[in-house]
Order: sequence, then structure tokens, then C-alpha cells
Amino acid sequence: MPERITLPIADIAEESPDVRTLSFTHPLAAEPGQFVMISDLKGDEKPFSLSDCGGGSFSITLRRVGPFTRRLFDARRGDLFSIRGAYGSSFFVHSGRVLLVGGGCAVPPLFFLCRRLLAAGAEPTVVNGARSADALLFERRFQALPLHQLTALEDAPEPLTAVDAALRLLQNNRFDALYAAGPEMMLASLISNCGALDYQLLIERYMKCGIGICGSCTLDPLGIRACVEGPVLPRATVEQLTEFGVYRRNSSGARVPVNARRSCEQ
Amino acid sequence: MVTKIPSGECMDATLRTRFLELDLATPLVLPAGVLGTSFSSLLACARCGAGLVTTKSATLTERTGHPGPVVVETPAGLLNAVGISNPGIAEVLREVAVYRRHTAVPVAVSVFADSPADFAELARRVSDSPADLLELNLSCPNVSGEFGAPLAGSPDTVAAIVAAVKHAARLPLIAKLSPNVTDIAAVGRAAEQAGADALCAINTLGPGMVIDTELGLPVLSNGSGGLSGAAIRPVAVRAVHQLAQSVGIPIIGVGGVCNAVDAAEMLIAGARLVGVGTALWSGGIELFGDIGRNLLAYLNRRCYPDPAAVPRLEPSHA
Repeated sequence: MPERITLPIADIAEESPDVRTLSFTHPLAAEPGQFVMISDLKGDEKPFSLSDCGGGSFSITLRRVGPFTRRLFDARRGDLFSIRGAYGSSFFVHSGRVLLVGGGCAVPPLFFLCRRLLAAGAEPTVVNGARSADALLFERRFQALPLHQLTALEDAPEPLTAVDAALRLLQNNRFDALYAAGPEMMLASLISNCGALDYQLLIERYMKCGIGICGSCTLDPLGIRACVEGPVLPRATVEQLTEFGVYRRNSSGARVPVNARRSCEQ
Repeated sequence: MVTKIPSGECMDATLRTRFLELDLATPLVLPAGVLGTSFSSLLACARCGAGLVTTKSATLTERTGHPGPVVVETPAGLLNAVGISNPGIAEVLREVAVYRRHTAVPVAVSVFADSPADFAELARRVSDSPADLLELNLSCPNVSGEFGAPLAGSPDTVAAIVAAVKHAARLPLIAKLSPNVTDIAAVGRAAEQAGADALCAINTLGPGMVIDTELGLPVLSNGSGGLSGAAIRPVAVRAVHQLAQSVGIPIIGVGGVCNAVDAAEMLIAGARLVGVGTALWSGGIELFGDIGRNLLAYLNRRCYPDPAAVPRLEPSHA
């Protein structure tokens, strides 16, 4: 069982005007798609997918959204945080030609996945989607890896969504598997157009305990938990979910429509 | 001492258990506060072998609960202070209605309020729903900043609430008690005399506190929280035994049950049903099936025809 640890921030990287990567020095045992629960013990705790892990350190990448992520965003090197995990399911790492599709601040966990895919001998193509050029994340990090990257910007002179970019690639190329992370409506649109291709999705639900006991993040109608059986779900599971792309539960457990909330709004 | 029965190999034991006019497939219960937010998680527990499932406690209006961290792991359990997050009784009963369309496994709705009048209103609402049982959460240790000391601390308060609810409810009534009292038997008797149909014991122990030594702050945002898990099982077993000597109504024994031996221990202590909560953290909901199978093997090995036939510990052991 993973333990809770208290670690200082070892490094901070600016990714965009409102996104930063925080790195911690600790040999965390984790796989791509897994998350950690992070708190400053000053009144909040949230789950964050790992954007990288290995070689004795790990990192998370966060967007400044609410009071808590603002505190994390404004934290300085050496500031201490309570961290528990890694929790949840992880991506199955294929070794063939694979397509990764990410949108917004859900892109960074796909970077960690790419490292593992490359180590397994896979040939990854990454569609890196963002609303605008200054919101684009990890472009240079992906460039440093031996893979093909395609950026999709919604506000470019020739606007392109990550889904449209992915579907064009799927039309003209053969892929063995698809990995995707991003706003739920984006994921729903992607999977409804990807034919018979095997896929895995990184999904988001409101999590409280992170260890499968509180019931906040259960998925209808299976009753599985996004924090234990997820957050990475295979196609066979996603196809059985009646709530995916439709509704989710908020912090009280009440159902709210999915499109009322974008990705990463911690 | 446990009554001695010649130990043989019987084959025809059943887990079926009668409880308040209900015929349960197993004596295993999903207690309030664990997983029971959505119809689908209740359903998953029922399908895995829970004979009765309980919703998370519902209040009249929506509550978001405490901010995180709401849980921290301890050496033999969990400390939690979720703060009774729930979408409000109307939404909870909507989930119960969906649950009922999928299964006949009985469901109890747990409710929480800070006055007899609000408890009674909740009881009326639950009575008009497809729920089978009503459970009164009189014992949450994690909202005292907001509501004062847990209601189950005082036999008089418990009696007042149970009486008010009994008047309003058309469903059998379970009072969930706190171990954090001087004399749990007195509270149990007060609940019974006021009209409770069953007791559930125990809620979490404490409250306790875990401090982060690097940050110098409590880990839980609430500061303190209730302790659950294997660490509290001896306290729960003693409380159930003590209650069983003091009341005539059936008891749901809850607290640190992790396997069939623990479940059998609860039955011997005097429980009619046995809750499995925190153990689902490491064991998963499949634990209901595992415990059920092993409990059935225990009944067969001891030649007890069903869980209710397990001989109770005699008085004067508390």
C-alpha cells in the first residue's frame, strides 16, 4: 500500500501562463496514467496525474484554476506538500504503432506514457491539442523524444481540433491502439468516430479519498471507482458506461451534466 | 464461553438470515459511509454478496462535506472525516429508486439531522420511497464543529430523536450508535425503549488525529476524524456483546470486520448482521463474496444451520 509522504518541491517549470510543472525527488513507484493526491494541509487536497516519473523523481503538471491550485501554482522550490499514491489504474503499454490524443492540461500524462511506449519499442504519434498557441503544453518535451507530434490549435488561422486531427490520421494510417486524455466531450467525440480501434481513456471524476472507499467517483452503471478501477479505462469498460459524456457527480454526489465543466478544473 | 457443539462436517448450512421481517441472502451489510453514494456502487456491493446495503447518510439539503484530505491511512485502519457529503435526501432517494429497479436486495437509507423535527421529516421522505429500512446516524464524530457533540452521547437525546422518528416513519428503524460513550448499553436501551427496531454498532472510534511532522499540521482538513478498520474491531466486539446483553432488538455489528473469522466473532458477540466497510479499501467489494463463502464453510464445519444459529457468548463477559 503506497504511503503518504511529505516532500519539498525540487523544481518548477513554466509551461504556459497558467500551467506549471512541479517536480519532487522521490523514487515513486508509478505507471503512466496513475495519479497522486497532493495537499498543503491548509484545507484542500486534489488528485493530479503524473506527467513524468522515473530516475528517482516524479512530476505533476497543473493549471491554476481555483484557490487550491493557485496555492500550488504559486508555491516555491522547497515548499512542502503531503503526497499520497500513486493510485489508480495505468495505461497498458503497446509496442506497435500507437496514436495518442491529448487536449489541454490532460496532455502531460501522455508524456509519461510516451516514455514507456518508446521504451517498449512502440512508434507513437502524438496529437497535442490546445485552444491557443500559448495554452499548448509540452510541445518541446515531445519534440525531444523520437516520435511524431502534430499540434492542433482551435484558434489558429486554420482551426483544427484534436479530434479532427486524430480522425484524419486514423483515416490515412493504420494504428494498433489509441490513447486519449482530455475534456470528456472531446473524448466522447473521439471514441464515437474511431471505428473498431482499441483504445484506452484517461478519465476524470470528482475524487475525495483516492483509495476506493468514499464512493465519490463511482461510475454508472458498473459501480466501479475512477480512483481504483480507473482513471485509465479500456474500451470494453468505457462502452458499458451510461454516464460517460453525459453526467458526472460533484463534491456532494449530485449528478451534473458533463459539458458544464472542462478538463482539469481542480 | 461459546457453547460446545460436536464439531462435524455438515453440508447444508445457509447464509440466509431474517432481519426485521426481511429475508436476507447473507448476513453481510454494506454500512453507511462506505461507497454508498450512487445506485451503481450499492448495486455492485449487492451483486458481490452483501445481504443489505446502506446509503451514505442523507441530509435534508445538499452538503459538499469537508475539503480534503478527508482520509488518512493509519497502521491498522483509516482515519476519516468526510463530513457527511451527500446530494440531499431527494437525490439520494432518486438513486435508491434506480437501485430498486435493478435488484431486490434490501437497502437501508441512512439519515442525519441536528434536530428531532428534521430527523422526522427525513423519516417521512424515506418512508415514501422504495427503501426497506431507515437508519438514524446518531453518531458521526466528524461534524461536531458544526452540530456539537454526537447525538448518541446522551440516552435522553437518542430517545427523543428515536421517538420523534418512530412517530413519523412507516419503515423499521435502526439507530446507529457511537462507541465514544461511557455506557453504550444505556444508549442502546434508550433507543429500544423509544421504539428503535434494531441497533447498528459501532460508528467510528475516537475521534483521533494524525499530525504531519514536516508541516506541523493535522493531516485531515477537519483536524480530527473517526478511526475505522481492524484496529477498532475489539472495541466493536465488546460493544456488540454489551448491547446484546442489554436489549432484545437485533444488532448490526460493525467495526473492523475483515474476514469470515471476524464476521463469526461478531455473530458470537451477539450481532444478527455483520457490516463490512473499511476492509473494502484493500479487499475490494469482492470481499463480500469471499467472506460469505468462508462464513458458510465455518457454519458447515461447526454444523450451525444458519448465521442466527451461531451460539452467542453468554452474559457477564463484558
